[in-house]
Amino acid sequence: MGTLKELNISPVGRVEGDLDVKVYMEDGVVTRAHTQAAMFRGFEKIMEGKDPQSGLIVTPRICGICGGSHLYCASSALDTAWKTSLPPNALLLRAIGQGTETIQSIPRWFYAIFATDMANKKFANKPLYAEVVKRFSAYVGTSFQTGVTASGRPVEVYALFGGQWPHSSYMVPGGVMCAPTLKDITRAHAIMNQFRNDWLEKVWLGCSIDRYLQVKSWDDLLAWVDENESQRNSDLGLFVRASLEFGMHKFGQGVGKFIAYGTYLHKDHYQKPTIEGRNKALISRSGYFDGKQYHEFDHLKIKEHVSHTWFETVPAAHPWDQPLPTPVPSQNLLSTDFSGKYSWSKAPRYLEMAAEAGPLARVVINADPSHRFGDHQIYDPLFGDILQKLGPSVFTRALARMHEAPRLFTLINDWLGQIDLDGDFYHKPVEIDGKGFGATEAARGALAHWIEVKDGVIKNYQVMAPTTWNVGPNDDEGKSGPIEAALEGTEIEDPHDPVEVGMVARSFDSCLVCTVHAHDQKSGKELSRFKL
Amino acid sequence: MANVVWLQGGACSGNTMSFLNAQEPTVVELVTDFGINILWHPSIGLEIGEQVTDLLNDCLAGRQQLDILVYEGSIIKGPNNTGTMNFFCDRPMKDWVADLAKVAGYVVAIGDCATWGGIPAVPPNPSESTGMQFHKKEKGGFLGANYKSKGGLPVINIPGCPAHPDWITQILVAISTGRIKDVLIDEFHRPKTFFTDFVQTGCTNAISFAQKVDAHFGKRGGCLFYEVGCRGPMTRASCNRILWNRQSSKTRANHPCLGCTEPGFPHHDLVKGSVFKSLKYLGFLPQDVPSGNSRLGYYMRAGFEKVLGGAEIVLGANREHFETSK
Repeated sequence: MGTLKELNISPVGRVEGDLDVKVYMEDGVVTRAHTQAAMFRGFEKIMEGKDPQSGLIVTPRICGICGGSHLYCASSALDTAWKTSLPPNALLLRAIGQGTETIQSIPRWFYAIFATDMANKKFANKPLYAEVVKRFSAYVGTSFQTGVTASGRPVEVYALFGGQWPHSSYMVPGGVMCAPTLKDITRAHAIMNQFRNDWLEKVWLGCSIDRYLQVKSWDDLLAWVDENESQRNSDLGLFVRASLEFGMHKFGQGVGKFIAYGTYLHKDHYQKPTIEGRNKALISRSGYFDGKQYHEFDHLKIKEHVSHTWFETVPAAHPWDQPLPTPVPSQNLLSTDFSGKYSWSKAPRYLEMAAEAGPLARVVINADPSHRFGDHQIYDPLFGDILQKLGPSVFTRALARMHEAPRLFTLINDWLGQIDLDGDFYHKPVEIDGKGFGATEAARGALAHWIEVKDGVIKNYQVMAPTTWNVGPNDDEGKSGPIEAALEGTEIEDPHDPVEVGMVARSFDSCLVCTVHAHDQKSGKELSRFKL
Repeated sequence: MANVVWLQGGACSGNTMSFLNAQEPTVVELVTDFGINILWHPSIGLEIGEQVTDLLNDCLAGRQQLDILVYEGSIIKGPNNTGTMNFFCDRPMKDWVADLAKVAGYVVAIGDCATWGGIPAVPPNPSESTGMQFHKKEKGGFLGANYKSKGGLPVINIPGCPAHPDWITQILVAISTGRIKDVLIDEFHRPKTFFTDFVQTGCTNAISFAQKVDAHFGKRGGCLFYEVGCRGPMTRASCNRILWNRQSSKTRANHPCLGCTEPGFPHHDLVKGSVFKSLKYLGFLPQDVPSGNSRLGYYMRAGFEKVLGGAEIVLGANREHFETSK
């Protein structure tokens, strides 16, 4: 038969739904790839005709990993539709919720999802392999339990203000539900400090946050690694050295275009929420980078294509102008015709181009020297430099995610310090009809909601997740989605254990369980099948 | 020692995320100290050296003992009962579940989607979702009202959106340490140990509830029942006894309880006026009254308390119970 089956020894699949990938290879190189999202629930359809605030309860349940991010979008979309006013405290507490959810995800993703791949036998002949296995192996790795346990701490802060994580609905149009007291703030500071002391500085950086934040270029980072034993042997030091030794900077390039909606609306710049005023109010910036130039972000330049999606075909359109989706029959991977419809994911495009969303997109946009609307917005040149010197890759993507932790820690601490216990937390809004747009950066990238309220109920609700950007199928012109593109050109050392494919998919944190079917391009014979 | 297969259907992974927050024991301790052998889990499965399809087939053929099947997410039956809106290992997920349920020692449904359909099953239910053994309040669901696992129990339901990590880990530990006989289940198949008390038990606003002092968003103190639809008095769960993320609970953070451990969540199917507002008759009589009360009885008691409370203020009574401070 020539059909070999083998389970990827990596213990991690990807959470939330199933993603199947079909990969064609020629002489050990991936020539074509198709991603297939294999599960449909129809959340947008469920909200049609319902209470306008339904999104506050329903959308966090789209994704248990990014629930706080969905809530940030759902409340913002209603803020713009209802023309609310937001007290500074509410903006701070929403940013803290978004920030703690994201910083939770950083060690959880790195240890539970990503780094276990580095312990794959593919790298067994590398000098640093033994140390990587010792630290990053699932369950038994010395850093695994520390990192996974530490990841639960920041969401304790989320729970102080939202009641619980995941699945709170504490952000509401006009502000937040809670009115914290002094002990909530002091406790939050203490929990975050423990997170820093137990993992971020001690295990991850091997230095102070302040020292790390002085890194501004790729050369700075390499010099930082070699500066002393503590930094060299920290998990970050080991990750950088091992990644370069293992060649993780040489594959998984992708489309080379990046989109970020930005997040953390500043307490002083978004008290009158409008769609037009959003870009200027962000702390972590929005933008689009086409590979050469930076562009200011405009949500009206987004369209979604469905010609390869298991929905009735309609012309590519902006979310406000799309009908709610009507499903059509789907197939499993083996019986799918990839020239037709082949995924439950839509294919979003910005200015008609596929773009990568995620931490790498964020740090690339935050390196833009122009399009900065004030000192409240982040400027960090590091990844502008890294993109020029290394380009996008599995390593660059993972490094970008980890790079966010120290700055985010500092921001969360600042925001906690700025809460005014005598100030307002909520301004009761007037419920009116209208259209709204709310967006954020979930841990894994750009997330947005579009709402239309008519006759006091939801007429249209459209959600576009970062995973939609990244795992989306071909568009109307047959152009690949970002993960499809990132897989193309990847060299597979052992076609019976294509760990490279898994690493590419996981570097996007695609939030889905992946089945990879590897096919030989000439014979079309199935070579191997894997769970990632 | 217990072999566990954990599958996700129409899921958001929220129960997995909640599970990863577990502290006593942590997920790692569950594996290393309590002999929970996770044969497969979509995000944290151990190395198994075989392809997942082979593993599942081994379980079905009896080559691999399956002690506990944990299922997260709704059973997706659509379209037209084919289940093809949710493929897993080349088959509709519902077909895997039907087969695995026949060989599993115990079946545990985690979260509202798995227990009674959850949000995906809200009308018009586009994916034809249902729960393992209930559809909303109605017994039956996917496996049927008479289903029992090899261990002799129906599906053990751990509801919640998401379920609290303790509810998950402690049921797994109870099974693996041979204490399953101590797990008593109620009419909705929930372990009574977690789902006998109401969310109101331990709520820090209980005095405000008793004396009818209302809370509002963005304010400290008061009870969320009358104005913003809190379901704490009619929802069975231990949220205010064991707290969430070791810190707080919805009602302690001035967030109304959504009643997510009771079948039917989201209640009233999100109709206009039901989200963060108490549905009322005539504009002032709450449609949902606390468990153990008749409507009329509750209206009379509550009205009496409100009138008396107002009178006491006029008479200059000391109301310091309700003072709040930053």
